[in-house]
Amino acid sequence: MIGFLIENMAPLMFASMVLFLLVGYPVAFALAACGVTFGLIGIATGVIPAALFGALPDRIWGVMSNDTMLALPFFTFMGLILERSGMAEELLETIGQLFGPVRGGLAFAVIFVGAMLAATTGVVAASVISMGLISLPIMLRYGYNKQLASGVIAASGTLAQIIPPSLVLIVLADQLGRPVGDMYRAAFVPGMVLTGLYMLYVAAIAMFKPAWAPAIPLEARIFREANGRSGIVSLLVLSALAGLATWAFATSSWPLHLIVALSKGSVTEVALDALIVLSLCAWMVAAFCVAGLHRLLGLHLLSRMSEQFTFVLVPPLGLIFLVLGTIFLGIATPTEGGAMGATAALVMALLRKRLNLGLLKQAMTSTARLTSFAVFILVGSRVFSLVFYGVNGHLWVEHLLGGLPGGQIGFLIVVNLLVFALAFFLDYFELAFIIIPLLAPVAEKLGIDLIWFGVLLAINMQTSFMHPPFGFALFFLRSVAPSTVRTIDIYWGAVPFVLIQMIMVGLVIVFPQLVSVGISDNKKVDVDQVQIDIPMGEQSAPDDTLQRELHGDAQSAPREVPASADPLADEIQRQLMQESGK
Amino acid sequence: MKVLLGLARRIDALNDIVARISIWLVLIVTLETAASSIVLKVLDVGSNAFLEIRWYLFSAIFLLGAGHALQKNAHVRIDVLASRFSRRTQAVIDILGTLFFLLPVCVLVIWLSWGVFADSFSSGEVSSSAGGLLLWPARVLVPAGFGLLLLQGLAEMIKRVAFLAGCGPDPLGVDKQMSAEEELANAIRRQREANGEAAQ
Repeated sequence: MIGFLIENMAPLMFASMVLFLLVGYPVAFALAACGVTFGLIGIATGVIPAALFGALPDRIWGVMSNDTMLALPFFTFMGLILERSGMAEELLETIGQLFGPVRGGLAFAVIFVGAMLAATTGVVAASVISMGLISLPIMLRYGYNKQLASGVIAASGTLAQIIPPSLVLIVLADQLGRPVGDMYRAAFVPGMVLTGLYMLYVAAIAMFKPAWAPAIPLEARIFREANGRSGIVSLLVLSALAGLATWAFATSSWPLHLIVALSKGSVTEVALDALIVLSLCAWMVAAFCVAGLHRLLGLHLLSRMSEQFTFVLVPPLGLIFLVLGTIFLGIATPTEGGAMGATAALVMALLRKRLNLGLLKQAMTSTARLTSFAVFILVGSRVFSLVFYGVNGHLWVEHLLGGLPGGQIGFLIVVNLLVFALAFFLDYFELAFIIIPLLAPVAEKLGIDLIWFGVLLAINMQTSFMHPPFGFALFFLRSVAPSTVRTIDIYWGAVPFVLIQMIMVGLVIVFPQLVSVGISDNKKVDVDQVQIDIPMGEQSAPDDTLQRELHGDAQSAPREVPASADPLADEIQRQLMQESGK
Repeated sequence: MKVLLGLARRIDALNDIVARISIWLVLIVTLETAASSIVLKVLDVGSNAFLEIRWYLFSAIFLLGAGHALQKNAHVRIDVLASRFSRRTQAVIDILGTLFFLLPVCVLVIWLSWGVFADSFSSGEVSSSAGGLLLWPARVLVPAGFGLLLLQGLAEMIKRVAFLAGCGPDPLGVDKQMSAEEELANAIRRQREANGEAAQ
């Protein structure tokens, strides 16, 4: 009996974890308790050294002094303030007005605004609720198919999960021991591609099922000229002029000079993501200057539509520059970018007279609560993995998943199916904290680049918001959708987008360079290369993993906690290493 | 039972006060980080103390908020199965979970981390980086946070026992507060109504 227990400690511990979690007690404590229980059993049976628990305070300390997770409250806070600032509503109304008269235009507007909001915040609920309240009624009024309308809203809302700055990428970066900034860079282009796929789908619908996505009549517009014309021409001219200026800027040597000046570093080439962000900003500045001068001088050359369009795009593009721009250009860390973004959101809400004490308190309370439960799951999972590694659980998982037929591809397919299936029941915090630490070492050992792996999983985990019936995006949409939209419509509406998501996962696996486009900075090698010939032994020896585990976040935290803080930890580490060497 | 429920109410009130104060740390750490990073970029002036105070505040937010999060049932659960159980079964699960999961973990962490704190306090341990801060104020947050969590665990257990014994309300049903999402939806509706009236 004891022999069986000792032999199969890791699988037993894993099975107990599943059992402990399914009971329905908060994940954080169930995980920690599972770790403690098996720690005690392990000590009693002599499988792990008695001093193991001495490393516990050190692990908690590692979570506390972890710069990565610090970005979590900042981006949460920023999102919560922004969702009340009225920015989303303005964007939806204006862009909806602009695109509406085209077939499928309202759906395009929703996707466009969804991507825009996603690039400013990482909160899914806010986008879905705003769109559900503002765009859904308009779409229904003009005869949009209910499934298409609700599906496009739910899916566009979840873009916040993949387009940086997203919360799930922070958590994944922490779990994979990679810098958040690299994760953001890597996810940027795939996020854009995914947005493009959504638009392609809507375009196909508009072409082949025009009745599902009708154009709204011109009379329904608010921003019209006195003579009844739409003013589109003037907008096109303005955009073209600004676009020309942007093109001139982007192809000149100015972006490079700017980056060198801003980051005070020696940069020799401009990365694509940085160029996109800079060009967006150049476009904004150019259009804003023209529209601003126009208003100041009281000219009547521009239409109301083009003025409105320009002014409404300024705040989100400004925020995108402040947060993503500074991160991509290497001026700020994600933590700093998040704090600056949150401060800017506060200022913006103040200027728009939307911020009051009650709202501020509510946003702070929600932020504190989310931070607390998320970081406690992390603490729980660290306690669990401390013991799980102690009983050589990582070797067991490696054996289980590393020996799959097909090597890398076999592993990726199995992992993606697993995550896809689990996403029906678990949300992304649970997935990231429970599943990823088990998978990451195996992926690394198979020579898979962890940044790429993280982005791939983030795209897959996005489906956890869209899976009927528990998907959060569907749930939020249900809570604001009119009763004429049946729940089953919302469920079916999500299905095509879940399929698009799977196509995207496939695309990233087949074309790994999609992810590498963003990381052309000097410090990153071509992902293609990394994919194939990362030296097997480099980071993946179990002892190394163990060491990293024991030291908390040596890799992800820029300033490591002094190792001397706990001599006991060193001692245990030594013992554990001997243990795992056996 | 009455005495115990009184105790539970006191614990609720304690964690309420702690939460009401500690949420302001969210604003403070945001402004501190934004300000110090702008100062660092623009004036090239910075200190490790600015960096360290960030994670002190971050730690305070999540550790001191844990008890309150438990009180508001905000800690994430996997409720695929649990949501099908009756309220009474859920209460029994919570009592057993608190007894066998939460309390032992809290006791163990408090016991282990108290020693670390005491050593740090008596030796005046300072962070190893230049310009680093005293470490014990951060070290004490661990036993403090887990202490608050332990107390709240006891309070939640008392409330559930009272519910099962029929002398208290359903602890999962009492909190009729609006969720943040509902509040957001209402705010947008109000705003739109106001806009609509202004336009007419």
